[in-house]
Amino acid sequence: MSGNGKVDRRGFMKGAAVAGGATLATETRVRAQTAPAQPKAASPSAAQQAMENDPPGEAEKLTTEKTGSDFMVDVCQTLGLDYMAACPGSTFRSLQESFINYGKNTKPEWLTCLHEEVSIGMGHGYAKVAGKPMAAMVHGTVGMQHGAMALYNAWCDRVPVIVFTASAGPVEDRRPGVEWMHTVQDGAATVRDFVKWDDYPRSLQSFSESTVRAYQLATAQPQAPVFITADGKLQEMELSKAANAKLSIPKLNHPTQAAADANALREAAKMLVAAENPVIIADRYARTQQGVDDLVKLAELLQAPVIEARGRMNFPTTHYLSHWERSGPVVAQADLVLSLEPSDLYGQLNKMRDQLERTEGPKTKAGVKVISISTHDLLVRANYQDFQRYSPADLSITADGEASMPYLIEAVRQEIGDRKAAFEARGQKLLAAWKGLADRARAEAAMSWDLTPISTARIYAELYNQVKDMDWALLQDGGFQSNWPHRLWPIEKHHQFMGGSGGGGVGYQPVAALGGALAHRDAGGRTPISVCGDGEFNMAPHTLWTAAHHKIPYLTVVHNNRAYHQEVMHVQHMANRHNRGVENAIIGTTLRAPFVDYAKVAQGYGAVGIGPINDPKDLGPAIAKGLDAMKSGQPVLIDVVSQPR
Amino acid sequence: MRVSTLLAAALLISAPAFAQQSGDVANGKNHFDNDGCWQCHGYGGQGAALTGPRVARTALTFDQFLNQLRHPANAMPPFEAPIVPDATARDIYAYLESMPKPPEAKDIPMLYATKGK
Repeated sequence: MSGNGKVDRRGFMKGAAVAGGATLATETRVRAQTAPAQPKAASPSAAQQAMENDPPGEAEKLTTEKTGSDFMVDVCQTLGLDYMAACPGSTFRSLQESFINYGKNTKPEWLTCLHEEVSIGMGHGYAKVAGKPMAAMVHGTVGMQHGAMALYNAWCDRVPVIVFTASAGPVEDRRPGVEWMHTVQDGAATVRDFVKWDDYPRSLQSFSESTVRAYQLATAQPQAPVFITADGKLQEMELSKAANAKLSIPKLNHPTQAAADANALREAAKMLVAAENPVIIADRYARTQQGVDDLVKLAELLQAPVIEARGRMNFPTTHYLSHWERSGPVVAQADLVLSLEPSDLYGQLNKMRDQLERTEGPKTKAGVKVISISTHDLLVRANYQDFQRYSPADLSITADGEASMPYLIEAVRQEIGDRKAAFEARGQKLLAAWKGLADRARAEAAMSWDLTPISTARIYAELYNQVKDMDWALLQDGGFQSNWPHRLWPIEKHHQFMGGSGGGGVGYQPVAALGGALAHRDAGGRTPISVCGDGEFNMAPHTLWTAAHHKIPYLTVVHNNRAYHQEVMHVQHMANRHNRGVENAIIGTTLRAPFVDYAKVAQGYGAVGIGPINDPKDLGPAIAKGLDAMKSGQPVLIDVVSQPR
Repeated sequence: MRVSTLLAAALLISAPAFAQQSGDVANGKNHFDNDGCWQCHGYGGQGAALTGPRVARTALTFDQFLNQLRHPANAMPPFEAPIVPDATARDIYAYLESMPKPPEAKDIPMLYATKGK
């Protein structure tokens, strides 16, 4: 009832709802008793029905200058987030409006994505290049389900992304229909197994504290995504000056990372110095250039070979102690393995033969000692099996590899004693073994130089030839392109390589490349390159629209082998195993009839599309054209019809 | 990762002089292209780091080749006789032997623009 005695719109609706509910309840009871009964609430009168269709009364308040979502923006802005990526969804409509108007669409800037997998996945790539997280906002229930795989990849890769979802408020505030479908009691239940922390704050003060806590947890090692649900009622509630004055935002303290304890490092140093053939394997070790530089120091101090496991850029490919191309014999001869932040220690030390009967065996010789320095054990969950098979280490140091490295170096210095001459001799042998690696790579690249479809070696050689004088950066792992990036390119700086997907979820490459390219754009003057399989690209081709819209320049080279090639081989393997011939292995695995015209797809999304390139002689000019177009801030795609790997 | 690796060491073994002239190169190419060989070893038999080694102009003897086909050393899918009969294997082998000699790296200056060692 409004102040003037009239029944206002909101009051009428409540009354009608109560009346309707009473009627239904009564009717149920009546049916059970097989006796008639009268509704307890009267139907709305004609006057009331007219009022429902009339403009609201003057006294009803329909607007406000300040809402809970404004305060949520205040919270996010204290975190220094540069970007909030989102595909729009009504459950966060108030937050979106607050970000773009109240927050002036700066820090964070709202990025338009065309799928929630992009919103989250680009944060994955961004964080690995920028060294800090960005945020994503996903629609309640359905948006979260879309984004789940990207979240899983980031989890497996131990990369921070700040993810928000939203949910309509309590039952009395939900509109009938779709708002219920997009509401969830426990928003994080679907993804809780692969986020580091989650919360559904029930007050604005709780939102404030939980969001700051989430950021801090996400960026502490081991890093991982976090997930906050922004309640719909909290977003849309009017926030009075008095209520706002009572709210506070905790100060964000960036966490320092946990270094190993001194005794453990001293023991590790003794073992490393005493070993005749130590080998260092680095996986998700280096977060920064300092981490790379420190690992070079340790390797040179010990004159020990380093195997780049490519979880991050850990060690320069041009260094004479870079021996990942000889990882088989190097690991087999090792009497000590130092594994830095392994995602799969068991797999580093063991192999399994994939035949009808699976057989396993060690890659190492008997008696090998193993030291691991890793935060792996600090974040292990039970359900998803990304923790890999258990592998005992002789010395398992639970600490951050990069933070521990300076102390390990110092401990090794103190232990070296009279071993320096032996180390120098070992270094000379490693130098001699290393010298042949580049020539071998060139010889193998030459093998396929003139082939049609175009070889992946040729793609990388042609690319490097044209970007070698630029500040280039690779956005992909390169494993599906026969490791040519690491075989042919001088990857020396941390920002030049960002590792792979972590979880193997197909679709990572285009979305992470978008985020990585964004971070490279902001760093200034870099030329980001993503060589992306066609199967991967098809998971999110619309990343190019987001790149075009937000002027994020990078070069996508589609490694177009016209198949989900990994799966072709899997099905072929099964067909062979079952003695049925491989003719049908292309069913369900290949992308033919019709071929996809990726250049046209790119053009359709507003990017520059070039190709398909079939003749290797046309590749160089196509790359030159693409790089030229990138100078104007455009994303570019070149479709290269390629060898399988 | 599917790893179907022929024994790399075996590639270093010299081929015998008889060179399997009896194989039908054209039929061998047809089977190479249709029996899935290229999926792991490349259309040119050039090999790929994680899927299978170079088989173009193979240095394996035919018996070594056939043995690898029937009883792969690593994770290569086995091709048994009902799928690839010995005669067909001989044709494939002849095709591999007949593959043209690729260019040498020293003749491709662009490769020397890549990382220096």
